[in-house]
Amino acid sequence: MLRRLRLGLALLALGIAVVTAGCATGQAGTAAGDRIPVVATTGMVADLARNIGGDRVAVTALMGPGVDPHLFKASEGDIARLQQARIIFYNGLHLEGRMGDILVKMAREKPTVAVAERIPEERLLITEDGVEDPHIWFDVSLWMEAAAVVRDSLVQLDPEGASTYRQNAEAYLAELKGLDEWARAELATIPVGRRVLVTAHDAFGYFGRAYDIEVAGLQGISTATEYGLADLQQMIDLLVEREIKAVFIESSVPRSSIEALVEGAAARGHQVSIGGELFSDAMGPEGTPEGTYVGMIRHNVRAIVEALR
Amino acid sequence: MTASLVIVAVGALVAGSAGLVGSFLVLRRMTMLGDAISHAVLPGIALGFLFTGSRAAPIMVLGAALFGLLTTWLVQALQRAGVQEDAGMGVTFTALFALGVVLISAFAGRVHLDLEHVLYGEIAFAPWDLWLVGDVSLGPRALWTMGAIFVLDLVAVLLFFKELKICAFDPETASAQGINVTAFHYLLMTLVSITTVGAFDAVGAILVVAMLVLPGATAYLLTDRLSVMLALAVGIGVLASVLGYLLARATDTPVAGAMAVAGGAVFAVTFVIRLLRQRRRRA
Repeated sequence: MLRRLRLGLALLALGIAVVTAGCATGQAGTAAGDRIPVVATTGMVADLARNIGGDRVAVTALMGPGVDPHLFKASEGDIARLQQARIIFYNGLHLEGRMGDILVKMAREKPTVAVAERIPEERLLITEDGVEDPHIWFDVSLWMEAAAVVRDSLVQLDPEGASTYRQNAEAYLAELKGLDEWARAELATIPVGRRVLVTAHDAFGYFGRAYDIEVAGLQGISTATEYGLADLQQMIDLLVEREIKAVFIESSVPRSSIEALVEGAAARGHQVSIGGELFSDAMGPEGTPEGTYVGMIRHNVRAIVEALR
Repeated sequence: MTASLVIVAVGALVAGSAGLVGSFLVLRRMTMLGDAISHAVLPGIALGFLFTGSRAAPIMVLGAALFGLLTTWLVQALQRAGVQEDAGMGVTFTALFALGVVLISAFAGRVHLDLEHVLYGEIAFAPWDLWLVGDVSLGPRALWTMGAIFVLDLVAVLLFFKELKICAFDPETASAQGINVTAFHYLLMTLVSITTVGAFDAVGAILVVAMLVLPGATAYLLTDRLSVMLALAVGIGVLASVLGYLLARATDTPVAGAMAVAGGAVFAVTFVIRLLRQRRRRA
């Protein structure tokens, strides 16, 4: 009797399984019409592809707003997205971790392109431990190199649209050039001595180099490493000695480490404010100005200028 | 082979391997060993990077495998020396994990070096993570590694079934019969660490940590015979993978997590049925 019950349950489960599978396969179609399906890993890379691909492409970002690329988990739907894509863009320089290795292997099936691939080695930052810093998007001029990579890859994939891609890229590169100049001019208004950016992790190395700002991060590059007590103490010393007015929170890193700094400085009689939230490894929600690359850079620059000037 | 089939097959191989060795862990009250290993391998990847300067997967897996073995052996040695099982696991993994944190902060603070990033694989990408020999693809790598690990576990269990059984249930009688209990305990520990670290590389941590516990614990509710328990554990593991994949598909969520949830659901259903049955018998 019991054995029969057990068997019955197993069969029932199997039945549900088969039916669900049948339904699910029916749903998997493209909603994009005749646009070229393109997949990008981070929101920033997706934004590049959208701006250059225009109406000819339908771009999906695997990592949503606010998702830390280092902690990204693929969902079942991502499998179909990767399968249907005709080209896949990613950042490269180990930003995507082991997913990067897999994207290299996927190149056997379809083009997979690291947008950082053409940046000459001498323009890359090498951290103290000898690895390349992947956060290239914070130097707008480097991101222009990435834009050119996207343009050329799309032209190669879809020669019919070549003129569209070239026109879009020309317009977008001009916008980026303007953005680069605007950011430099804005940040130059902060007195040199106070041009110190204190944040929770070292995502702003390229930003600092490009726009002449000293960058001090509390954590290492990895969002998973803990900061040491000595790090915290050094950072508080820096805040007090240089009379730095504000420190910043990042969208994809917890607040607590930065709050510890503010309290530490307050204990030594130096008031530091939290200068707002900076976008680092992920952009803002879709549909808001910060949900685009240009809007994200503008937001960061404004927040920094306002807090430090 | 379609991507979905590869993913379900890899999940089933992980669940089957973990179900086999995990059943013995259930009997020995050491099911949290998988979780312990998932933390204790951190110094392995730190040292791997410090010695080679590379974060390539083979080096990370090798470092993790060495520390996986070290973990299980230490747990076994502590237990033999009279420390309780759970305390032995606790001591070993917290100490090793902390060592890893210290090593990374001291020597590699500016590198992206964490388990998620450099060691754990992602089951969703298994279909594209091909084993390439020169320019020839031999199919998904995870199918090969987890297939080999499943065969290894199965052969070891079949070959030493009698010894493993008596060592798990009644170590004293086993020694009296002249069986080298310590050797078989170390054999089991070695299988556990190979299975766990192999699965970290193929599919990430959550699936194997869950599958070391859930199929064995579920099967334990259904039978008193070890041979039946092992077969049930493998079957339950496979069922959980299939159901979990369908759950992930229906809800567009991460596959490994959904498989672990399905394993938990299978346990819960079995537990409730058993409870109702016992009530009825008493009434």
